[in-house]
Amino acid sequence: MGPALIELKGVTKTFTLESGREFSALSKIDLTLREGEVLALLGPSGSGKSTCLRLMCGLYEATSGDVLARGQKLEAVNRDVAMVFQAFALLPWESVYRNIALALNPLNLNEDDQHERVKRAIDVVGLEGFEEAYPRELSGGMKQRVGLARAMAMQRPILFLDEPFSALDVLTSETLRQEILRIYVSRKTSIRSMLLVTHNIQEAVTMADRILVLGSNPGHIRAEFLNAIPYPRNEEAPNFKELVTRIHSSITESYMPDVPEETVPARPSEAKLRPEILPNVPMIEVVGLVELIHSHEDRVDLFSLSEELGYDFGHTLYLVKAAELLDLVDTPKQRVILTPDGIEFATADINMRKRMMHQALGRLNIVKIATDLLKESGIVRLPVADLTAQIQALLPTENAEHIVASLIGWGRFAEYFGYNDDTKTIYLDVGQEVQQ
Amino acid sequence: MLHRSPVVIRHLFILDIIIGLGLGTLIYGLILFAGQWHATFNPSYQIELHSGSLPLYALFSAMRGLGAYLVSLVFTVAVGYWAAKSAAAEKVIIPLLDILQSIPVLGFLPGLVLGLVAIFPHSNVGLELAAILMIFTGQVWNMTFAFYSSLKSVPGDLQEAAAVMCLSDSTKLMRIELPFSAVNLVWNSIMSMAGGWFFLTVCEAFTLGNQEYRLPGVGAYMAVAIERGDTRAMLWGVGAMAIIIVTMDLVIWRPALAWVHRFRLEQTLTGGEDQLINFVYNNSLFLRFMRNFFVKLSRRALLKTDSKRLEIKIPVPTFQFAVLSKWLRWPLAVVLLTAVIWGGVGLINSLSVLTFANWGEIVIDTLLTFSRVAAAVMLSTLWALPAGVWLSRKEIRLRIAQPIAQLLASFPAPMLYPLVLGLTFKAHIDFSVGSMVLMLLGVQWYILFNTLAGGLRISREIYDSMTLMGSSQRDLWRYLYIPSVFPALVTGWVTAAGGAWNASIVAEYINYQGSTLETRGLGALISRSASKGDFAMLSACLVVMVIFVVLLNRYFWDRIYRVSQKRFRLDF
Repeated sequence: MGPALIELKGVTKTFTLESGREFSALSKIDLTLREGEVLALLGPSGSGKSTCLRLMCGLYEATSGDVLARGQKLEAVNRDVAMVFQAFALLPWESVYRNIALALNPLNLNEDDQHERVKRAIDVVGLEGFEEAYPRELSGGMKQRVGLARAMAMQRPILFLDEPFSALDVLTSETLRQEILRIYVSRKTSIRSMLLVTHNIQEAVTMADRILVLGSNPGHIRAEFLNAIPYPRNEEAPNFKELVTRIHSSITESYMPDVPEETVPARPSEAKLRPEILPNVPMIEVVGLVELIHSHEDRVDLFSLSEELGYDFGHTLYLVKAAELLDLVDTPKQRVILTPDGIEFATADINMRKRMMHQALGRLNIVKIATDLLKESGIVRLPVADLTAQIQALLPTENAEHIVASLIGWGRFAEYFGYNDDTKTIYLDVGQEVQQ
Repeated sequence: MLHRSPVVIRHLFILDIIIGLGLGTLIYGLILFAGQWHATFNPSYQIELHSGSLPLYALFSAMRGLGAYLVSLVFTVAVGYWAAKSAAAEKVIIPLLDILQSIPVLGFLPGLVLGLVAIFPHSNVGLELAAILMIFTGQVWNMTFAFYSSLKSVPGDLQEAAAVMCLSDSTKLMRIELPFSAVNLVWNSIMSMAGGWFFLTVCEAFTLGNQEYRLPGVGAYMAVAIERGDTRAMLWGVGAMAIIIVTMDLVIWRPALAWVHRFRLEQTLTGGEDQLINFVYNNSLFLRFMRNFFVKLSRRALLKTDSKRLEIKIPVPTFQFAVLSKWLRWPLAVVLLTAVIWGGVGLINSLSVLTFANWGEIVIDTLLTFSRVAAAVMLSTLWALPAGVWLSRKEIRLRIAQPIAQLLASFPAPMLYPLVLGLTFKAHIDFSVGSMVLMLLGVQWYILFNTLAGGLRISREIYDSMTLMGSSQRDLWRYLYIPSVFPALVTGWVTAAGGAWNASIVAEYINYQGSTLETRGLGALISRSASKGDFAMLSACLVVMVIFVVLLNRYFWDRIYRVSQKRFRLDF
């Protein structure tokens, strides 16, 4: 492995939200990108992988810690890096040719050299004949090729790929992935290292030599996997599948540990009511999930579930976790099994389901906290801000606003709470309010 | 029943006192205003430059502005609806609005004043109505256009839903079309209100033939202060006007915006929330009481109609506009046609007294004013385009700049003219150039305002990509910033140019420190003809101006606008 091209040393990045609150995207990250490797940052949305990438190329400044490029502290943008963007980042009012040539303007080349380089880049990605086209005339895959050609034309040693295939359909992205790999392996261009940001495990294993799994709230590195399978990689090969499974289980374990989380034996009054961290998924999807598992004879494998749903793995995990909180499923190891309640739920009619959900919600700590707040203050309508503050105090590291938003969604679905957006308050006794 | 959390009660008392005081002032003002209407006819009110009389003047001016706005609103809904629903009406109304829009207030002034004063010769009603209607002419056309195009763009699925549910025209208007247009209508109302204030000095104080007319109000106060060159009074007047604008923004527009936010079709999580308004709304006992009262009332009404509908299972036969339109079509056409013929003959008659030399003078003056308009728009662009883009690049700058730019754009620039004139004289700038500076004073904000909004279209990702390339500032401006804001800039240019044509009337001809400052130009010609009572010349100028402005819009701005929309579209 070659020398370090970019290093993050104890880097923390915080943003100030519109509400004025500080939001910590990354916390104390240590990370190195070396010459001759393809590194993948893998994680669900909100794990700060894009922030990480933007810190490494100098688009963001670190709040604390050091960003080093070839051993020097990075003061401006990193001139070693070219980037391919998620939404292509092409100028809609310029032709394909001009879009690529624009990247060469800062180099002050003479006209012939510039033309030569643009032509070569167009040739490498197979865009001949589209020089005069405008981006809006191209399909998504072709647009991303323009983005790729532009990055190639810059002739920089490092290529950053910021979820470059997530806006494309499956077939197109597969083709483009293979093409990028072929270009990289052929060594015919300037690119010596690549950094890929993705939430797709297969994609990371297909492309990367080294995979870093990121966790959220705030973003941190959770695990590292080395991948020595030679290119081109076959998704059906046993060693490929084995690595995918290992990464899957590592993510699953951290989200849904089989051993219950250690409850801090603090003062008893505090310890007994720790609000659950409600995943931000709509209840209707949880209902669909339970029905789907029921149609698979009440038990499925977590990976095949994710594939069947067509969601990325992180979202599938959130869904399963939501169902688990409502006692509808159980998750021993990598399996998802319907509980007796879950089976009853799957076969029940709509009214029965609402009743069951009503009861399940009533068992949650966070719901108890909300009802206690209502009772203590002797009011009928509880301002959401008060509840959010309470949850934030109990879960200082979590995003309380998201949790309360989920709670409102679930509570409304199960007719447990009502919520009025004008007054920003929640209330019990939904039926009574409607009659008024 | 009211349910309050204990935290809330602390603020409640002070807020309710403030709201109570506001309501009290409003009622008191209404009573005084009514008194002024009924007083015996006094065309030339004795304006006192004492600052103590300003609050009353400000209140009167505010009432006139609001009254005019209410008339505008009714006109907008009625005429906009008519144009959107009837293809025949559309063909007449839309070009007519285009023409009316380019007629400056002085074009309406003689007819309105002479006519209404003749109808109410013994009280101030006629004069007051004339002033209100003149303010109305500064507000209404734009609003009607906006409402009409909103109605035209009601999404197909909503239309189909209404058709499936067999909604009557009136229910469809109340339940679908008005809510859908609400956001657009409120934003446009804010702009139109500013348009109404622009000529306040003219609407409240003007000369017609030999008669001077003055009404108690801030506009007249300013006019008198300017005439006497009383700088202290001018500053007081500017302050009073600023207070009117800021108060209306706080009391009317911000709550209105917060309220119509709920009618937006797109479901965004953030934005549109007004913290201040929410705070006041949630913490005032009085407002909560009113809200609950109205909610209950409307709920009861809703339940009644809905249950009725369920029982009889047939849509309740309600008012259908189509029937009215059918009945009205022919009589209206006859009335309109007669009016057009009568007006046309009258116009040609009055224009026939003009000589060839007169027409030559008008054409040359039009070109002179045109060059001032062009210069004012170009000079404004030179500073406002970079400033607007720069401000919009950072959210914090934008959040500070936007409301300030909006308030500055709402402030009637003619009230600032004398203060700026003093500066141009000190710098030994000739009035023919100075009047261009005055025009610039008002129109630059339109360009700033629009580029600010356009700056939001600059793609973050493209900016990042160009930063990584190491693109120069020149490349950033040329390839990213200017193309991104260009469509918004064109909108700004059109508004600014329209505003500059209008402004020429007060910028090229000013009663300043007891004498009349004047330079050659169409605006000056119009002002002079109006104050001399030379109606033939006035009509000729207006005709030329309307033709010139309409042609310019049709063949110049419209084209640029369409090209920019096509070429600088942001979607891929």
